Amino acid sequence: MAGEEKGVAKRDEGLERAPSLIDENPEERVIRALIDDFPSAIADFKKLKKGVVRAMIERRELYKACKMLRDKLGFEHISMISAVEYDAKFEIVYHITSYQHQLLLELITSTPKDDLSVDSVSSIWGGANWQEREAYDLMGVKFNNHPKLERILLPKDYLYHPLRKDFKG
Amino acid sequence: MNLFEFCFGIIHWLVDLVNHLWYWLGDHLPWVFGDFFDWAGDLARSHGNIAFFAIMAEVVIMVVIALVNVLNFIWIDRKWMGRMFDFYGPYYVGYRIGGWLQNLADGIKLFVKEIITPTKVDKIGFLLGPVIFVASSVLALATIQFSPRFGVFTNGIDTGVSASLLIAFAFFAIAPFAILVMGWSSNNKYTLIGGLRSAAQMMSYEIPMLLCVASVFLLAGDFSFMGVVSAQHDVWFAIPLVIGFFVFLTCMVAEVEIQPFDLPEAEAELVEGWTTEYPGFRFGLFMMTSYMRGYIGGALVTALFLGGWQGPALIPDEFWFLIKAYLVFLVIEWMRWSNMRVRVDQLLNIGWKRLMPLAVLNLLIAVALKTMGWF
Amino acid sequence: MAEMWINMGPQHPMTHGLWNLRIKVDGETIVDAEPEVGYLHRGIEKLCEDRTYTQIIPIADRLCYGASLAWSHLYCMTVEDLMGIEVPERAEYIRVAALEMQRIASHLMWLAAYAADLGAMIGFIYSMRDREVFIDILQALSGSRITYNFPRIGGVAHDVYPTFERDTLRACGYMEKKLKEYEDLYEGSKVFMMRNEGVGVLKKQDAMNLGVTGPSLRASGVKYDIRKDMPYSVYPEIDFEPATHPDCDCYSRFKVRMDEMYQSCRIIRQAVAKMPKGKWRVLAPRNGPVGTGIGRVEDPRGEGMMYVVGNGTDRPYRLKIRSPIFVSVSAAPKMLIGYKVADVVAIMGGLDMCIGETDR
Repeated sequence: MAGEEKGVAKRDEGLERAPSLIDENPEERVIRALIDDFPSAIADFKKLKKGVVRAMIERRELYKACKMLRDKLGFEHISMISAVEYDAKFEIVYHITSYQHQLLLELITSTPKDDLSVDSVSSIWGGANWQEREAYDLMGVKFNNHPKLERILLPKDYLYHPLRKDFKG
Repeated sequence: MNLFEFCFGIIHWLVDLVNHLWYWLGDHLPWVFGDFFDWAGDLARSHGNIAFFAIMAEVVIMVVIALVNVLNFIWIDRKWMGRMFDFYGPYYVGYRIGGWLQNLADGIKLFVKEIITPTKVDKIGFLLGPVIFVASSVLALATIQFSPRFGVFTNGIDTGVSASLLIAFAFFAIAPFAILVMGWSSNNKYTLIGGLRSAAQMMSYEIPMLLCVASVFLLAGDFSFMGVVSAQHDVWFAIPLVIGFFVFLTCMVAEVEIQPFDLPEAEAELVEGWTTEYPGFRFGLFMMTSYMRGYIGGALVTALFLGGWQGPALIPDEFWFLIKAYLVFLVIEWMRWSNMRVRVDQLLNIGWKRLMPLAVLNLLIAVALKTMGWF
Repeated sequence: MAEMWINMGPQHPMTHGLWNLRIKVDGETIVDAEPEVGYLHRGIEKLCEDRTYTQIIPIADRLCYGASLAWSHLYCMTVEDLMGIEVPERAEYIRVAALEMQRIASHLMWLAAYAADLGAMIGFIYSMRDREVFIDILQALSGSRITYNFPRIGGVAHDVYPTFERDTLRACGYMEKKLKEYEDLYEGSKVFMMRNEGVGVLKKQDAMNLGVTGPSLRASGVKYDIRKDMPYSVYPEIDFEPATHPDCDCYSRFKVRMDEMYQSCRIIRQAVAKMPKGKWRVLAPRNGPVGTGIGRVEDPRGEGMMYVVGNGTDRPYRLKIRSPIFVSVSAAPKMLIGYKVADVVAIMGGLDMCIGETDR
């Protein structure tokens, strides 16, 4: 992707690039927008298959990036919020869908185990509300500024977070 | 010969039979006891006493007939529903008579269940409510006659209570009060909602119903069963008062709480509504009373609009009456299983905004017909 | 009358499955609502971390027992994405035909419960009778009536039985006739229209934001169907129209599902006609690679997704399941506030809840 652009620019230096009418690579557009706005926070982006893009983002810029995704790039729907526990960190994976452009963006944040909190996106997308409650309930990830961070699937006075690797039934 | 004379004759024969033995015993006892026995025997043979027992016998006969008809209704309801839904109705119990004994089986099942009274209910309301409900519905039975000769009479030439239809409707209308009491005293939010809905529904459908009945009284010139049916010897009232017939039928369905108007006991939402806290046989009584009110409603529709027992003299009058009542019931059941439940505010809407103007229109037609001298 | 909180559930004839709906009523009008789920939580995600990839297929069936083929298919698709397996074409066509039959069976069950709740027992009986036709075919295909255990990673368990094509075409013809009858029965009933029109309105913007997907989203006017817009399996080669409806009320949800049944019959006919000869399964490797896989399908109830993380062994490291109804139920208060208690049945019924997948 980057190499192609360089080749074209070398040949037609000085010429202005005509705007393209057909969005041939909508995935590229998304990635480019994300890189432009958050140059320091985005890392490791790639196109997984047709219509699916993955990007890693640092957790301090998560809220602003999601707001930009919904408002500017037209990602209206959050499909899934998963929490995965690795040895040294937790990864929160956001799958965000765009109805208009038929794209799926996989946005991955990581938090260290000793400071397990992420900004909540439930004020951007209402659908994230219960999904974040479930991640809190089963994994223990805290979401800042969540309107009602309570347990949802397990009893309200349960002490453990069962989906963690150190919980052995 | 009417039913009173029939019962009178039977009781008289029974009393005579017993009195033979009684007087013989009195003859063979010392003089004080002998006198007492004579006095008691004469008392037993007196007209007033036998008349009293004859009336008791009539009442028993009418109630038994009503109960048998109720059982029939329940059986027909389930078989008819089965045919409409593409399955068999009751099938195994009473295999050879089409499953009729299923009713008895259900009754026995309900009878042997434990009767639980929850602790926090209001005792008086909880226990008296069903009594009022069932009693008022059964009392309305006293006014129904199957023919000029078959009914609850007090002497040989009686033609029934002089305002029997009014009394029947009065008894019928006590039910909302009892339901309200039962719903509130069960100490349960659901039953309270069910009771309120039920009371609202019944009260708002009383008015169009009574307006239609008033139009029939106008044309018949009489308040009693006998009078109204005899006034239909030329033409049944259903024909000039078509609107009234359909309005009355709809209101009767709403009074008896049959779909599409059975929201108070909507199983899907309120878990049986106001009867939730009544287990076992009490619930069986409610179900039976519900069908009995359906039976009374069918009988009233027949008497008011369909000519009662008028019909060709091939079969006795009583059977005509029953056939017509059953047909009305079949139509009501057909409507019941094809329709969905109406929501409660839409239900009150229908009662007040649609049926009331129609009932008033019907009354105007009746007034017009009467002043033109056709009735 | 003062406002009071009413609990509809957890033991209640109306609520399909075990959940609690707390509503705050003022007389008959609903002022606030709060659904509570979690009574059926079985810990499926934790369970899956302890079983091999093939052992999880029956567990995925039991996620939503109303549409179980869709879930086991979703799981197999996710693992095939993780392992990078290409499924043979015959297997894909068999999967699509079976999936669409499962969709029709699931919608018929929804219709049965919906009609029964509104009071039309007759709708219940007729829908269940017609559902038997499809369940019988699926039973002959896979061996059981509700939880099939039919897809495998890399294809399907076995080939179709000899008279499959004849049976399915007959079933589709029968269903199309019956759908016309249902239209007459429901839309010709004034009472049904009174109870459904204008009830439970969920505007388009709210629907998209709150995460409602599937027939409920299409009933709010958004023309998005995963089978058409991000197609999987052999759906690109099949020609059908996703059903939408512009009004956002209960009636449009009903209409969308009825139209979906029509479209499913169309899809089944095409799938059965185009089925090529060939293998019906490739053998998948035992150990999954290190990496992640995503699967995304159009479940009868909405958008189902699964995310699997493999770590080189024969068990998944993490399996995350996205249930459409879990998110739709959280949108329920928006649809309930302002309507009457008697409308709760129609509105929650229109969402087609299945608690198995909500609570996992």
